[in-house]
Amino acid sequence: MNKTSSTKFNFPVFFMAMLGVVFLVIFNYLPMFGIIIAFKDMDGVINITKALVTKPFVGFQNFIDFLNDKYFRDVMINTIGLNVFQLVLSFPAPIIFALLLNEVRHLGFKKTVQTITYFPYFVSWVVFGGIVISMLSSDNGIINVVLQKLGLIKEPISFLANPNYFWSIATVSGIIKGLGWGAVIYLAAIAGIDVEQYEAAIIDGANRFQRMLYITLPGILSTIVILLLLSISNLLNSSFDQIYVLQNQLNLDRSEVIDTYVYKIGISEMRYSFTTAVGVFKSFIAFLLLWGSNTLSKKYLNRGIY
Amino acid sequence: MFKRKSSLNKFDYFNYIFLILISCITIYPFIYVLAGSFNQGTDYMNGGVYLFPRVFSLDNYKMIFNDNRLYIGFKNTIARTLIGTPAGVFFTAMVSYGMSRKDLKFKKQIYWFNLFTLFFSGGLIPYFLVLKTLSLNNSFWVYIVPNLYSVFNMIIFANYFREIPEEIHESAVVDGAREFTIFWKLYLPLSKPVLATIALWVGVFHWNSFFDSMLFTTDPKLQTLQLFLVKLIKEASLGQGQANIRVPAHVMSTISITTVRYAAIVVSSIPIFMLYPFVQKYLVKGVMLGSVKG
Repeated sequence: MNKTSSTKFNFPVFFMAMLGVVFLVIFNYLPMFGIIIAFKDMDGVINITKALVTKPFVGFQNFIDFLNDKYFRDVMINTIGLNVFQLVLSFPAPIIFALLLNEVRHLGFKKTVQTITYFPYFVSWVVFGGIVISMLSSDNGIINVVLQKLGLIKEPISFLANPNYFWSIATVSGIIKGLGWGAVIYLAAIAGIDVEQYEAAIIDGANRFQRMLYITLPGILSTIVILLLLSISNLLNSSFDQIYVLQNQLNLDRSEVIDTYVYKIGISEMRYSFTTAVGVFKSFIAFLLLWGSNTLSKKYLNRGIY
Repeated sequence: MFKRKSSLNKFDYFNYIFLILISCITIYPFIYVLAGSFNQGTDYMNGGVYLFPRVFSLDNYKMIFNDNRLYIGFKNTIARTLIGTPAGVFFTAMVSYGMSRKDLKFKKQIYWFNLFTLFFSGGLIPYFLVLKTLSLNNSFWVYIVPNLYSVFNMIIFANYFREIPEEIHESAVVDGAREFTIFWKLYLPLSKPVLATIALWVGVFHWNSFFDSMLFTTDPKLQTLQLFLVKLIKEASLGQGQANIRVPAHVMSTISITTVRYAAIVVSSIPIFMLYPFVQKYLVKGVMLGSVKG
């Protein structure tokens, strides 16, 4: 290293890095300080900067209001229920898919499957959700037609008009859209496993299934744990685009989650303080979940994010 | 290397069939809309159009191209993608260059200042209020400015810049080049693969987003393509009709909102459909680059 360059203050370099800092101050740190809105009563105010100074603190009133809100129970059940449901089913899917894909020796076939299954990830949820809605339609939608042909149902079902189907629809459509792309990171991890391990296992007489179970799976365990921890800390973050597109008045009972609720009452009804409190509540739970799951993971799996 | 077994066993057959099935399930929804979008509307509602159009018709497309909101949507989405992508990539790359230099003062503190934002956020409402205070809401720039910088992309860029041999930088300094010139004339051209990857990611993000348009703008003139599509899908699913569409009478008698919606879905995905096969490998590369250090 050139000694003079490491000791001298390099202004252009500092300036470039500070541009990022300035950006973050405006678009990330200012909103963080905006959390005080949750402790004031600023619902419906027009001049925010003025109200931030003049309005008195109301303590935890907005949080209490949320806990007593008539939608609180449903919104919490939906947010947690839907996400747990999705986590349990859609978390393992890309891992299994990556393991199966890894067993394919025909390179052309593998590439084709990858090209096809990655694709839905790149279209928007508006497009994909729009397709899902029409496929599920009770009006000659393909799903109803197939189910009727198979004799599983007699009358067409209006799937999206019944709240009870919503979680399943969101989960299955989410798996189809994200399956292929979700496998990419695991395939990268598998590619990083030392080939010698497989060679040694073959000499020892391990069959393919044993190699998958005792070499490939442990080889990607770190990746699995990190992604699982991140998913758990995201338990209250719903996929807004997806839920919003699939949601309608008829399935609202099981489709209204924190994110869609905050959008509706926060921006449309200008209940700034109330919804900020909901947001803070959400971040707080997310932090607890990340901390808790990371602690457990460190204790039992010796792996963690930090 | 592996010993190659010459024959396929039972597991292989199961595996191939399963993967083919998955591929079919994934691709089918797109075939379904494509077929429907080229079918006559009233005929489509009789059911049975699952792979190919039965009564071929371009009326759905004519209908959707009659809707002024489609043009506004295209204009805004193309504009934000064409402006937002280079601006965002350039800004993030420039910050990343600074972050990647060893002689950056307060390097550790600046890094933590960046990383902290990945774990904590103020939530939607304070963010909205900041945009409002900056008068960015209800302005085209709300699509561009808040998306100029991404900490995730900065980490990927900075990791890549650090792999570039230090001698290149040193010899440029000896030749009297300034830092910005080194970044612009040497580092960026040497980082084409990562530039392509990030540009594509940012581009796809801009093309697909409707959240900011829905939340931060109320002016119909600023509506993006995806927001138009959301409205079309939601209106139709609630049966609210299409007040804004001016339709010739002879077309109207055979039209159905379902197939018009399909046409809109196809039209708005055309760039993704067309570019995807060529850019796929660059998109995958991004995950690899990101997962190296992550």
